[in-house]
Amino acid sequence: MRHDAEPRPFSLLSPALLVITIGLLLPMAMMFRFSLNRYSANELMTQALTFSNYARFFGDAFYLGILGKTIAVALASTFVALVLGVPAAYFLARLSAPRLKSALILMTVIPLLMGNSVRTAGWMVLLGDRGLCNAILIFLGISDEPLRILYTGKAVLIALVGAILPYMIISLQSVLEGIERVYEEAALTLGAHPATMFRRVLLPMLMPGIFSGSLLCFILAMNAYATPLLIGGPTFQMMAPLVYQQLTKVFDWPFASSMAFVLMSVTLASLVLSSVFIQRRYGRL
Amino acid sequence: MAVGLRALPGRTAFLASVGLAYLLVLAPLIAVFWVSFFRNKIIAFPPQGYTLAWFANAWSLDDFRNGFVLSLEIGVVATIGSLLIGVPAALALARHDFRGREAISAALMSPLIVPGIVAGTAVYMFYIEIETWTDVQLAATLPGLCLAHVVLALPWTVRLVTASLVGVNRLVEEAAMTLGAGPALTLWRVTLPMIRPAIVAGGLFSFVVSFVDLEKSLFLVGPGRMTLPIAIINYLEWSIDPTIAAVATIQIVIISAALLLTDRFVRLSRVF
Repeated sequence: MRHDAEPRPFSLLSPALLVITIGLLLPMAMMFRFSLNRYSANELMTQALTFSNYARFFGDAFYLGILGKTIAVALASTFVALVLGVPAAYFLARLSAPRLKSALILMTVIPLLMGNSVRTAGWMVLLGDRGLCNAILIFLGISDEPLRILYTGKAVLIALVGAILPYMIISLQSVLEGIERVYEEAALTLGAHPATMFRRVLLPMLMPGIFSGSLLCFILAMNAYATPLLIGGPTFQMMAPLVYQQLTKVFDWPFASSMAFVLMSVTLASLVLSSVFIQRRYGRL
Repeated sequence: MAVGLRALPGRTAFLASVGLAYLLVLAPLIAVFWVSFFRNKIIAFPPQGYTLAWFANAWSLDDFRNGFVLSLEIGVVATIGSLLIGVPAALALARHDFRGREAISAALMSPLIVPGIVAGTAVYMFYIEIETWTDVQLAATLPGLCLAHVVLALPWTVRLVTASLVGVNRLVEEAAMTLGAGPALTLWRVTLPMIRPAIVAGGLFSFVVSFVDLEKSLFLVGPGRMTLPIAIINYLEWSIDPTIAAVATIQIVIISAALLLTDRFVRLSRVF
């Protein structure tokens, strides 16, 4: 006997859709509308339909500089993560001992989900004037006095790479698991140097993973908050801390909204660009 | 073997870069864990000895104790909330074909795409607007934080449970129905038990992403109501000492335990 009482998809979906709408979609739409309003010192915000906030952002060398720096830092850290991530992912994917492999996967995924506050605390312990890195450098006699590592651009780059690397490794590893080893063995047996084999055989097949991993890492680095704030120090400005300050310290809602949207658009644009590119080149994934 | 010999210098460089990659990933967590047991009040290497005193000290500080309790509370609410609304949504997505299915699925996954800072900005202003219109305060309140965290956790639950449902053999459910079980009984006694690993994993994952969230919560906490990651960040702006290392270590232990437990239900390598 089959009842027709099976719940319809809409009634099953509506609670989740309601929560997403109230908790994200509606606020995002409202924020876009606010970004077209005008800031006023006594009422905070007046209704308007103007692009002046965006014009102010893109017309001011100070803000453009911060956007440029954010993009540059994100690109650089993504590149380093890619260079370090490929060998690590290859090692992980080709590891034959099952227990060692699952242990290493856990050592990749657990840091990925550890949260940025804990990781930032760790980098401060490592990179501070009295930190472990300086202690080792002095102990080995490489340096006589503590080097200034924390609160420099280099420190931000190192910490960001550490934060995004697990995402890169996991993205690449999942693609590498799908590439059978026989291709590599065939190239090597036919006399190819391992480097040639990598460049001519493995790399082309790995491209989808390189794209998706780099995209994910770039987006994460673009939106980093704790790392530039605490590792870079007060003079190291990136977009995410800037948005936070505009909203909670300056109370300029329209301008903060427009900056949040600029940040969001870089994310969206890179998503769209890469999906178009990947689809054209490799078909639908 | 000729290939192996020729590749020797390359192999050393290869293993060195693997080592460097994992050093960058693991070193900060290991360092903060180690320092939390140092006896010296000011961090210096090597330590003068080891103690557990900083854990007691951390617990005696209001910001950390309250932050820990608040993060636990929000994590539990986010877990329950995302399961209550996420499992039915996954059932609809996996079992029904209807117009707009792709769009709805994309909407439910959207919290994964919107950066935490952007979402936090939007939700904060939305809460304040609601307050000016209805006098209902959401910003800096527990319900406001919980709603934001359910949104954060929802895509993980939906994704894990949908993937698991797709793998379930429908014949088993049809057999139950043929034998006279109604749809509700079949759901409760057949379908849900079959996807139980994914439900448990989805719940644990919800807890983890809620517990560690920093960027989105930043806007929604209030004075005297800070989550643990935000209490950590605020403290780090002033100083780094074994006390804060002890707090970070507690978070490391909780999150690692939750993820190791998750791994027993759904392989973590398959979650992403």
